[in-house]
Amino acid sequence: MQPVIEISDLKVFYEDAQALNGISLDVYPNEILGIIGPAQSGKTTLLKVINRTLEFTQGTSIEGTVKLDGIDINSISDVYGLRRRIGMVLPLPVGLPLSIYDNVAFAPRTAGLRNKTDLDEIVERCLQQAALWDEVKDRLDSLGTKLSGGQQQRLTIARALSHQPEILCLDEFSIAVDPITTMRIEDVLKTLKEEMTILLVTNLVQQAKRLANRTAFMLNGDLIEIDETDVIFSENPTNQSTYDYVNGTFG
Amino acid sequence: MNANIMNRSELIYHTIAIISLVIVIILLWNFTSDGSYVEGKINSDVITEETVSTIYGQLYRMIPTFCGVILFSIVISFYLEEWLQQTSWQYQIIERHIAILARVPSLVVGILAVYFIFFHFQNITYYGLLLTVVLLVMPVTIQSTQKSIQTVDISVREAAYALGATRWRVVTDHVFPHTFSKILAVICTAISRILAIAAFLVASVWIYGSNSFSFPKSVILLITGALIVSVLSSLLD
Repeated sequence: MQPVIEISDLKVFYEDAQALNGISLDVYPNEILGIIGPAQSGKTTLLKVINRTLEFTQGTSIEGTVKLDGIDINSISDVYGLRRRIGMVLPLPVGLPLSIYDNVAFAPRTAGLRNKTDLDEIVERCLQQAALWDEVKDRLDSLGTKLSGGQQQRLTIARALSHQPEILCLDEFSIAVDPITTMRIEDVLKTLKEEMTILLVTNLVQQAKRLANRTAFMLNGDLIEIDETDVIFSENPTNQSTYDYVNGTFG
Repeated sequence: MNANIMNRSELIYHTIAIISLVIVIILLWNFTSDGSYVEGKINSDVITEETVSTIYGQLYRMIPTFCGVILFSIVISFYLEEWLQQTSWQYQIIERHIAILARVPSLVVGILAVYFIFFHFQNITYYGLLLTVVLLVMPVTIQSTQKSIQTVDISVREAAYALGATRWRVVTDHVFPHTFSKILAVICTAISRILAIAAFLVASVWIYGSNSFSFPKSVILLITGALIVSVLSSLLD
């Protein structure tokens, strides 16, 4: 099967500090790839390289290649179009200073969609997928930033889904969401997998175990191991530190 | 390696600053050494009520220019923060010059304006007033606007960029609304400074011309306006 993302020998430097030490991995269509590892292991950096938002961090330099559908992402001139192909959910909810409706409609409008009926449909669908529709359907005009932390995070997920991305990057999406809502969103992710590829960065190893088809373990900027989730969480992963991490010996 | 580059650039900036300072001192020395101001060679009859009304005329004519200078300063701030790489040499040079100019006390700018415009050149020129306003308003306005832009969390920008928004849309839809009240406060501060320096210029000329400390009502009005706008600025910030 042709990988949708091919990463080879990726190195990232924040000025003098190296965040990724030559990572190589492939991501296949319609899979959920769990990326686990302790803090400062380079998980978020990896996601930011893929959708080219790392460029906004001052003093960073990148070596190696990241290909999306066989094309080097750095050779893509329409970087805004590239980002629309990759949905991103950040760890903490970021409510744009817009109404709930406009938050979700922002990306489709940016892409040029103006039809009110189509926008209404997208907003409803995305809010339902993010398990938020029932709570906000009567107040779509109120500010997104006025929602609770958990609701804002679900709004962020709805927003990421609004431009129908080919790849969805979730960076610790459940950090501000209660367990019941997390389970509802996880169910949605299992369905979404049929339509898109999902990269799931999580500190909750059990979440990766529940959702991911394959899991990558990162430590201090190195990709220690990537394999089927069943193998990573078995008694016999290839690397001892993987076993130690998933079993809570460290991290 | 990087440290060496930083040291070299620091050395260049400091050298430019010292050379500029020496040039300013030499110019001031030359201007004052002819003694026209110190020895009172200028006839105070030159400065009459007519002169004051001329100043008002110029100030009224300059209102669009004042607005232009303030808006231009805000545009420069957005350009510096949102478009220019902060590690680039262009950003570093502009930033340092703005920092130097912003630290010059407004009283110094006012005294220089009074001296050069009225006593040295004996003429109220549009460009003289423009230079005063630019020196007085632009550096502080740019610096304050930059600080307000910097308060916008990077995550807001990242979230908008991640949705495929262009730089222009990120600025207009997210950064500007976030900073709007702060920018209003910056505009109020700039207006307050302009009113204050206008009051200072008129009062200086009035005192010199009439040898009296009983200011015309217009000076009191300007000072009151400056104070009110300052209070408004602090409320908005």
